[in-house]
Amino acid sequence: MDYLSSNKILIVDLNTGETSEDALDDDLVSQKIGGVGITSSLYETYKDRDPVILGTGLLTGTLFPASALSVISAKSPRTGYLTHSPFTLKAGMELKYTGFDYVVILGRSENPVFLWLHDGVADILDAAELWGKDVWNTTDLLRKSMGDDLIQTLVIGPAGEEGSDLAQVCVNYWANGDCWGFGKVLGEKNLKAVALRGMGLLEISDAEDFVDQCFEIFEAIKGSALEGKRGVEDILIALGESDAREWLAPVVHRHSACYNTPYPTNTFIYLNEDPTTLTEPAEPEPGFMITDIGALLALKKSGLSAADAGHVLRACARRGVDPAAVAEIIGKTGQKDPKAIEQSLEGLQGTVAVPQGAKFSSWVPQNPIFGDFGLSGESSLRDWWVRRQAVAYLFGIHPIFANMSPELSEEVILEMVNKGTGLDLSQETLDQVIEDICS
Amino acid sequence: MRIDVDALKCIGCMACEMACGYHRDDAFALLASCIVVYRAREKKDYFGVVVKEEESLTIARPEGVEIKRIGVAEEAGDSGQKKEADASAKPMLLREPCDLCSDMKYGPMCVKICPVNAISLQDEGE
Ligand code: SF4
Ligand code: SF4
Repeated sequence: MDYLSSNKILIVDLNTGETSEDALDDDLVSQKIGGVGITSSLYETYKDRDPVILGTGLLTGTLFPASALSVISAKSPRTGYLTHSPFTLKAGMELKYTGFDYVVILGRSENPVFLWLHDGVADILDAAELWGKDVWNTTDLLRKSMGDDLIQTLVIGPAGEEGSDLAQVCVNYWANGDCWGFGKVLGEKNLKAVALRGMGLLEISDAEDFVDQCFEIFEAIKGSALEGKRGVEDILIALGESDAREWLAPVVHRHSACYNTPYPTNTFIYLNEDPTTLTEPAEPEPGFMITDIGALLALKKSGLSAADAGHVLRACARRGVDPAAVAEIIGKTGQKDPKAIEQSLEGLQGTVAVPQGAKFSSWVPQNPIFGDFGLSGESSLRDWWVRRQAVAYLFGIHPIFANMSPELSEEVILEMVNKGTGLDLSQETLDQVIEDICS
Repeated sequence: MRIDVDALKCIGCMACEMACGYHRDDAFALLASCIVVYRAREKKDYFGVVVKEEESLTIARPEGVEIKRIGVAEEAGDSGQKKEADASAKPMLLREPCDLCSDMKYGPMCVKICPVNAISLQDEGE
C-alpha cells in the first residue's frame, strides 16, 4: 500500500523475542479494507498462537474528521471469542505514525517485557522494573526512561498482571474502550505495555481533492447539531441525564478531544485542586480525565457525587480495571463510599453481562448522540449501532463521534478512502466485510 | 497579520498541527508543523498551542497569550520556548516559521480547520 499507510505489518514473537515484517498487500486491503477487517483476517492466520493484534484504519491519523481510532483485536476472556476494542485519545493516531499499520503479537514472553514501537523500529525490552507498578507509574516511568513525554502507551496495571477478567488495557493514564478483559490477555503474555511514538509520513493519492473535501465535511459538522456542545456532560444530557451539568459543575476543569475529533468527548475534573485554576497547577496529579461515559453514568445513578465518582474512576484507571464493569458490580452492592469502593478493587471479582455475540465495545453509548440518523424502532437501533461501530472500526473513526455525526456517512467515507488511497472500494465490498466481521 | 490562539477555547485536537504539517509536506505528517499543541503535562490537563513565527514564538496558554521574540526566548533559559520544547520531537526553533499558508488556496489552514474557532488572524501588533 503506497497511500494512507506505512505498508508494514509487524509480527512480534514473544516466545523467541524476535520480530519480522510483512508488506501490507493492496489485495488484502481491497478485500478486507482495514482496521478490524484486516485484524480479523490476521487473527484467523495466527489463531493457534493466541494473537493480540493492533490495527489502524486507512483514515486513522489523517485530516479526515475524527480519524482518531485504532483497535486491539483478540479473543476475550469474557466471551471466549474474537472481539475488538477501540483506542483513541492520541494513541490511535500515534500507532499509525510509528511506521506500522498492524502489529501481530504472538505467544508469551518468559519474563515481563514491553514493546517499544518508534519510527519503523520495534524493540522488545525488559519490563522487570515496570512489573507490579500501577498504570500511572508505568506510563510515567516509560516516558521518563525514554525522555519523551509524548510517548503514548497501551498499558496494564496490577489487575492485568493478576489475571482478572475485569482487567483493562488503559491508554496513558486513562480508561479507554477495552471492555473485553484484554488487560488479562496482555498480563498472560507477560506484556506490560506497548509504547508508541512515531515521526512517520503518510502519502495521499489525490491529496488536493482529499483535503478539499475534509474541509467541506468539517464545515458541515461545524454547523450541525453538536455545535456549542462540550464534553461528557452534554453527552449525558443527550442520553437523558438532564441534571448532568449541575452534577459535574463543581469539579469540571476543561474538555478535550481525541486526535482531530471535532467534539471533545473527554472531560477533565479536578479532585484536589480548584477546578477554576487556569495556570499550571503545582499539584502533579490534580484530577482525572473522564473518558468512559457509561461508567460515569452508572456511578451517578448509584448516587455518588461527581467528585466521588472521579475518585473511583481514578482508582480503576491506576489499577487497570474496567470502570464500567466496576460501576455495574458496585451498583448491585449499594456501596457509595468511594474509599470502600477503592479498597474493594483489589481482587474484585464478578461477571458483567455481554450482549449475545457482541464484538464491539459497549464503551460507546448505544444511542445516536445529538445527530439525527433517521432511526425508529428497537431492533433497528441495535442494528444501526453495530453497523455504525463496524464502519468506525474498519476505517479508523472515533466510535463515539461516529454516533454523533450523520455527516460521516458510509458514502462519504468510501469516497474519501478511495481518493486518499487510489483504490476503488465499493459499497458491496463494505457490506461484505461488515457481514464477515459481524458473523 | 499573524495567527492568534485562544487557548481556553482550544480542545487540544491537533487538527491545526496536522493541517500545518500537510501545508509543509503535501502529506500527513507532524514533524514540520509550525503550530504545535503542547500537551506534555497530560496528568495536569494543562495544554495550549505554540506558533513559530519569523521572529517570535506565540505561546497561547490557558491563562493568556505570550509573545516572545526568538532571540530573547533562546536566552531565557528555562522559560518561554524552552519550557514548551517538550511539546514536540523537533524543536520549534528549527521549524520553518508561519507563512500564513501563503501558497495555499485555502488561506491559513489552521484557522479554517479548527473545530471550535480558537484560531484567528490578527493584525500585527494587536
Ligand atoms: S497559517 Fe498556515 S503556516 Fe501558519 S500556523 Fe497556520 S497552518 Fe501553519
Ligand atoms: S485545531 Fe483548534 S481546538 Fe484543535 S488543537 Fe488546534 S487550536 Fe486547539
